[in-house]
Amino acid sequence: MLEVLIQLLPSVLLEGLILGFVYAMIALGYTMVYGVLELINFAHSEIFMSGAVAGAETFILLKAAVPNPFILLALAILIGGAVAAIVAILVERLAYRPLRRRGTTNRLVPLITAIGASFFLQDLVRLIEGLWHNAFYRRYPSFEVFEATYTLPNLLGSVIILLTLWIVFWVLAYFAYWIYRAATGTKGVSRRASRGLWIASLVLTLLVAVIDRGTVFGDLGLTIQMKSILVVVISFAMLYGLNWLVHKTKLGIAIRAVAQDAQTASLMGIDPDVIITYTFLIGGFLGGVAGVLFGLLYTLVHPYVGFIPGIKAFTAAVLGGIGNITGAALGGLVLGMLEMLGGTYLTFLTNGAMGTEYKDILAFAILIFILLFRPQGIMGEQVGEKV
Amino acid sequence: MSEAILEVNEVTKTFGGLVAVNQVTMHVERRRIFAVIGPNGAGKTTFFNLVTGIYKPDTGSIVFDGEAITGRDPAVIAAKGMARTFQNIRLFGSMSALENVMVARHVHTKTSYADALLHTPRYHREEQRARDRAMELLAYMQLDHRAQELAKNLPYGEQRRLEIARALALEPKLLLLDEPAAGMNPQETEDLQRRIVGIRDDLGITIVLIEHDMKLVMSISERIAVLDYGKKILEGTPEEVQNDPRVIEAYLGPGAAEGVQ
Repeated sequence: MLEVLIQLLPSVLLEGLILGFVYAMIALGYTMVYGVLELINFAHSEIFMSGAVAGAETFILLKAAVPNPFILLALAILIGGAVAAIVAILVERLAYRPLRRRGTTNRLVPLITAIGASFFLQDLVRLIEGLWHNAFYRRYPSFEVFEATYTLPNLLGSVIILLTLWIVFWVLAYFAYWIYRAATGTKGVSRRASRGLWIASLVLTLLVAVIDRGTVFGDLGLTIQMKSILVVVISFAMLYGLNWLVHKTKLGIAIRAVAQDAQTASLMGIDPDVIITYTFLIGGFLGGVAGVLFGLLYTLVHPYVGFIPGIKAFTAAVLGGIGNITGAALGGLVLGMLEMLGGTYLTFLTNGAMGTEYKDILAFAILIFILLFRPQGIMGEQVGEKV
Repeated sequence: MSEAILEVNEVTKTFGGLVAVNQVTMHVERRRIFAVIGPNGAGKTTFFNLVTGIYKPDTGSIVFDGEAITGRDPAVIAAKGMARTFQNIRLFGSMSALENVMVARHVHTKTSYADALLHTPRYHREEQRARDRAMELLAYMQLDHRAQELAKNLPYGEQRRLEIARALALEPKLLLLDEPAAGMNPQETEDLQRRIVGIRDDLGITIVLIEHDMKLVMSISERIAVLDYGKKILEGTPEEVQNDPRVIEAYLGPGAAEGVQ
């Protein structure tokens, strides 16, 4: 059984990485809005959905006119992102801003409004699609170039296996050591002990590699589809672009200033309302592009498609530390990988009693666990520090 | 162009039953160093918050540089050239010193976001200018060696100077300093004193400061207004204020003036 587990590892992690990038892009929308408004924008899952649906419509409408699938995809991404950004800005203008103007201090009020906006958008899109096509399920067309499969070199698979084993061993060792320390009455892990654990887990990894060299360095048959490559490349470019925008442009500096202290920022001549609009624009655009990529991967989209990815991306944002941009990206990747690992290995570990369908439970168990034991998330070390 | 850069006319602000600022009138002339003093809770900071637009006055009007600004948003007023610092330091802690100053350059940077996304030459030029100007200001406050340090990691005195550098980045006509010497030792206060006078002389900026350090107030201010229980009880030169029994009473209680004399 161990051999099967190890053999599956690279492809599972690769799938997890692809899913993780989609989560990361949605999670950024949650975390950026939380950064400037301290509001969980539950309508963000519908902003994602509107991008996915707009992308599907673009593909279907322009399929005949634009023969090149890559140009078609670029158009779908632009239109999906733009539609989602507009929806995000409208939600802010029509639902959240009037509440802010009224000086509502109860945090529950905007939260309920967000949930209301979410339901409203679901049924609005359903209405539009229903009137337009008399059906609200839309399917992304498939293209041969996107479905084409490429084989990755075995060495890459071997490296992935070794790195993963190392990290897994380290996490287990660290956890065990931490429990041991807690049981003996001391807290934390010293830097020297931590280095020792790194080395010990590396030795263990190399040991496994030597014992099981047939599997680790064998023919792994690691494959990837063109559309998955596209998802990874596009989302990586978007995340990189966002990072640049937030850290290197004056808009980014203004967004961070408003997130840290809106009143002081306004006394420096920055209008918080303008910055909030830009934040919704950026978060909405990323969410919409994520929607198009999601549609590309899973083909079927409908007005209710946003709910589960939305809540999982929210989990990712919490996992990384809500309000923290790097944390949201990291949380998305970690969640995507954990979900894929859980979905694949649960079947093996429970002898088939629990199948892939339980992977959602894993994601939400993580949410509960994080909220209970580390509400500030992975990256959110200091409470109160945002973006 | 009128002589006064700031005209506050009979401004009142109440919070519930408390009259925090009561019918205060104050005219600040250009290129002056003007101090607002008074015991704790006299309404000095509330007065600053009214002038900068954080609070809207209940009655009265405020004119800045010949333009009515009563009830305008803080961002609009700031963009017109009014900058301030805070009694309790309010820097953007998890941003570098340089970035803190660049926040206040926002209104003076003329690139559109399309420029930024497309990396046009104008974007690079403007960005470089903003950076250079911010570095100049840091150097002016002797903080250039700290440019990349996070604001929250700076020592207290440098945080105070950084707040002033950030306020100056707005290229203000009027600078409001809320207890700039609070928590400083005598050397630091003396250094601050020279800087404040320098800002006025070098940059031609009018300065209004709230301060408890009487030595500082008396040596640099040209006019002083005294607030007590939200009311302006007196305005005059340092000599006039120092010799007025009402000021001593405001600080020490009724009857205290006779004891002193």
